[in-house]
Amino acid sequence: MSPTTMTLAKALNAGLRRSLEADPKVLLMGEDIGRLGGVFRVTEGLQADFGPDRVMDSPLAESAIVGTAVGLALRGYRPVVEIQFDGFVFPAFDQLTTQVSRLRFRSHGRLSVPLVVRIPYGGGIGAIEHHSESPEAYFAHTPGLKVVTVSTPSDAYWGIQQAIASDDPVIFLEPKRRYYARGEVDGGGVPGPLHAARVARPGTDATLIAYGPMVQTCLDAAEAAAAEGHQLEVLDLRSLSPLDDAAIIASVERTGRCIVVHEAVRSGGLGAEIAARVSEACFLSLEAPVLRVTAYDIPYPPAKAEHAYLPDVDRVLDAVDRSMAY
Amino acid sequence: MDPVHDPAFVQLLTPEGRRVDHPKFAYTGDDASVAAHLRAMVLARRLDAEATALQRKGELALWPPMLGQEAAQVGSASAVGPLDEVIPSYREHAVALAMGVAPLDLLKTFRGTHMVDWDSRALRFHLYSFVIGTQALHATGMAMGMRFDGLVGNADPAANGAAMVYFGDGATSQGDVSEAFVFAASYTAPLVLFCQNNQWAISVPIARQSKIPLYQRASGFGIPAVQVDGNDVLAVQAVTEWALDRARRGEGPTFIEAFTYRMGAHTTSDDPTKYRGRDEEASWRAKDPIARVRAYLRSTGAIDDTWEGHLANESDALAERLRDEVVSLPEPVLADWFTRGYVRTPQALLAQREEFVAYEASFVEEATA
Amino acid sequence: MLTFNLPDPGEGLAEAEIVQWLVAAGQTVAVNDPLVEIETAKSLVELPSPWAGTVVALLVAEGDLVPVGTPIVTIDDGSAGDATVVSGPVVTDADAEAGPAASGAVLVGYGTTAASVSRRPRAGRTVVGVDRDEQVHESYSTAQPVSRPVGEVTSPGALGGEPLPPPLPDPGEPAPAASATTPGAKAKPQVRRLARDLEVDLASVVGTGADGAVTAVDVARAASGSSNGANGQAGVVHRVPLRGIRREMVASMMNSVKTPQASLWADVDVTETVRLIEALKKRREFDGLRISPSLILARAVCLAMGRSPEVNGSIDVEAAVIVVPEDVNLGIAAATARGLVVPNIKAANKLSLVALATALNGLVNAAREGRITPADLRGGTFTITNVGVFGIEGGTPILVPGESAVLCLGAISKRPCVVPGPDGDQIEIRSMATLTLTIDHRVLDGEAGARFLNDVATVLREPGLSLLF
Repeated sequence: MSPTTMTLAKALNAGLRRSLEADPKVLLMGEDIGRLGGVFRVTEGLQADFGPDRVMDSPLAESAIVGTAVGLALRGYRPVVEIQFDGFVFPAFDQLTTQVSRLRFRSHGRLSVPLVVRIPYGGGIGAIEHHSESPEAYFAHTPGLKVVTVSTPSDAYWGIQQAIASDDPVIFLEPKRRYYARGEVDGGGVPGPLHAARVARPGTDATLIAYGPMVQTCLDAAEAAAAEGHQLEVLDLRSLSPLDDAAIIASVERTGRCIVVHEAVRSGGLGAEIAARVSEACFLSLEAPVLRVTAYDIPYPPAKAEHAYLPDVDRVLDAVDRSMAY
Repeated sequence: MDPVHDPAFVQLLTPEGRRVDHPKFAYTGDDASVAAHLRAMVLARRLDAEATALQRKGELALWPPMLGQEAAQVGSASAVGPLDEVIPSYREHAVALAMGVAPLDLLKTFRGTHMVDWDSRALRFHLYSFVIGTQALHATGMAMGMRFDGLVGNADPAANGAAMVYFGDGATSQGDVSEAFVFAASYTAPLVLFCQNNQWAISVPIARQSKIPLYQRASGFGIPAVQVDGNDVLAVQAVTEWALDRARRGEGPTFIEAFTYRMGAHTTSDDPTKYRGRDEEASWRAKDPIARVRAYLRSTGAIDDTWEGHLANESDALAERLRDEVVSLPEPVLADWFTRGYVRTPQALLAQREEFVAYEASFVEEATA
Repeated sequence: MLTFNLPDPGEGLAEAEIVQWLVAAGQTVAVNDPLVEIETAKSLVELPSPWAGTVVALLVAEGDLVPVGTPIVTIDDGSAGDATVVSGPVVTDADAEAGPAASGAVLVGYGTTAASVSRRPRAGRTVVGVDRDEQVHESYSTAQPVSRPVGEVTSPGALGGEPLPPPLPDPGEPAPAASATTPGAKAKPQVRRLARDLEVDLASVVGTGADGAVTAVDVARAASGSSNGANGQAGVVHRVPLRGIRREMVASMMNSVKTPQASLWADVDVTETVRLIEALKKRREFDGLRISPSLILARAVCLAMGRSPEVNGSIDVEAAVIVVPEDVNLGIAAATARGLVVPNIKAANKLSLVALATALNGLVNAAREGRITPADLRGGTFTITNVGVFGIEGGTPILVPGESAVLCLGAISKRPCVVPGPDGDQIEIRSMATLTLTIDHRVLDGEAGARFLNDVATVLREPGLSLLF
């Protein structure tokens, strides 16, 4: 497949297709993923080509979707399950935190749960309650889980395949507001490591650390800042657990200023974890404290107020201003 | 699953509009009451159609239509008593209207300007719930509370109340709903579990959720059940009255499966042509809940052109008012939402609000277009 | 006349194809009459008319791919005036400019709005802080105990005729934050480190930074005892904050000043070196490598170190020893856009000329590209600095802290020189350069310095004599 431009959703579709072709043990399961092809059409056409025993429409029960996937994984399958929206993952939270994340540990390393849980997440789409959440911190806080998110079609295409190939359970977070963003995907290329961060834009004056939907927001902010004479570096974390400490430290040592941007609420979010690590590892390189640009500590508000609730270019640049003032 | 031939299937009015008997249930109202049902169903359908159109014009973010389910909702709502509590999912628009929710209030959350903005305690109609099945447990708890409060089994029926929770066929697969069955039975909760089996959970047909008719599940939990023609408003009212009476008398929970059809899409973001055929939709259109009632009332002469003309005007007026009011809904002010999460807002959160307000105020005023 | 723009029908599309017009110009329409069929990424959708009236014009054609927000039809609803009234979600200028890239993936909701790449103008560039003393307290506290019954549904007596038990303790509120005055001086971590290194008491320094914070300049000034600044200056005074490498340089120079230093210089005839450089450039081993006077100087230094190893040493005052490593970690002073850096070539004395040239080239490139690592900067034992590249004839270099000697090479220029000839002394034009050696006089005396400098000069003057070393 020569390099083509495609949407993030189509890139996921292509990556899932390749995975289904590559390994007969790969199964897909979720609500409305088969006949309908998924409410975002990410799994479109896959049931027709791979059959209803490999691309399964499930009953309406998230705990069962994940729980039965555990059983399938123990039988040697590689289940790739979909939770239809971020806000609906919580019935499955028990299975994820008490079982999926612990079976290897509990079994002294004998048992494997090569499960991928795909979750469209994040806001900025004008949706009703429970359809715009950012629950990544709960999963990053659960040892035994790997947590990954993508921001580009290319990362989506390769990342989903790598996640499926991983023998660890992976929570694969898909930024739904970017599903139709277009980008180039080179199917003939070789992907970088799944759990490595990527410098999305090099810079010298401050490091913006972002992931998923906020990567584009930070790139836009860097563009605006360049016009003001500030060269901002944008680091796309890609992996939230484990975090790519080396890349974070290298960037912050270079720029001396660190700003973390995420849609999830401020308190207890990943920004706090990154700030702690950076302050420990880069203490003498820092020109300013690590700042976080996040949602406020309230539940997701009515859709028409979300633009004020979520970080945007202005809020990111406000944090850059505050950092530069030190 | 063809319920019509199942003797347990309760029907009192055929799709053609002919009254029929059932050994266990009867509709005791007069034609005026039936006409009232027709009016309620027509207005509900009009609200639903108008909301759908508003979404298509970009005035609502989303709308989950209840087209086709008017009888299941109007029929059951008419059995609700003055002390009863009703707990909906998110598609019970006709029940909402019956319980006194203002049409505009119903649309607010779908416009994105509000959360769920009606007084659920005053109206005894709980807030719309978008996580599937969670409300079944809340309803069970509320029913338990009503029992503890002494609202059940009093000699004077006027002193008794019960709870009724609505959910769909898909919801019956969620663990929460099974747990609600368990708790309702265990605590003899005064609860009617009203399931609108509209055959589809987005694109997943009922056959994927259950291998047997849904009403047969309840006996596994020790809860009596009935399957009713969900498009027959008379039958729905009859069985719901029976179930609520049982609960108020202290005889515990009942499960009602209202066998109906989701004529529209799951929501305005869904496209049913991708997973179901026109033939199926056509066969259900022939069982339309409003058409059969209209046919019946016309046949008895209870309604005429004048009556229908008044209703049409009323319907148009409702629609126009809705269109006007929706666009005037105020935009939400985020600062207001910082203090709605706790009884007393913690200091740090108040400080965050100050920071937010100061930040918003720091921008140059933009000229309004 | 009213204009209807293509709304986002909640599918997150950025554009839609006009499939079929269901009305024509001149046709009368009622509210909600279907106007047009459009195809989104997922399905065929009919758009209903927002108004009743007469269709004036269809603005897009069947088959057109139209971005969200584009006017698609005008309808005359009989109202006066020609104002364009827009139905549907308001499309801001930013949305319109961003165009099709705006709307992202949405299956529920309005869809995304275009992220603007320019920022909203701020009123004054003030950094927004929070005044912690002014809190707005909204209290929802009840006057009654927490566990009272729900009065709306039941009467309090329903649970029994007993008197109400004592109320549960109120959760209360923790004390608010004290007013924000930090005890002790305010300074960034590196400034604190600098103050410690320079033995400056932070508390005694007047801070000139934001919020009265002590800056590196404040500390450096306090250490040097001077208090000159912008006092009494008329006119514009520029303040350049010390950052990154420049800040390091300040610290290191301050440190160096404590050491007793003396300088010696020699004017050297480097004509043979110049010839040697040209010869080396033609050799295959040096393909792709820059050969500079610094390279020859570096080699000369390493050779001279053989005879004067103490020049590579440094003093440990506390232990009262002079530490002399065998490896010459040769520092090369490099000017970069961000300031002076002195990376060093590890064990330069063990490298062949080719390897030394490679290492030198590598360092110079890394310095230029900002890739010098902390490891490169650590562990230097001797430094050479070339002011000749700036066209300067000579200078008095300052020791790099931790080293005992530093050698400065001036510009190579053609000068008249007295050389012995067949008929006695004569004047010739020779390439000359001035070498200046600064030494730590605690470690090296004049004689040691002179011997070393002479040896270096010998190699440069007669490269063949390096066979002696």
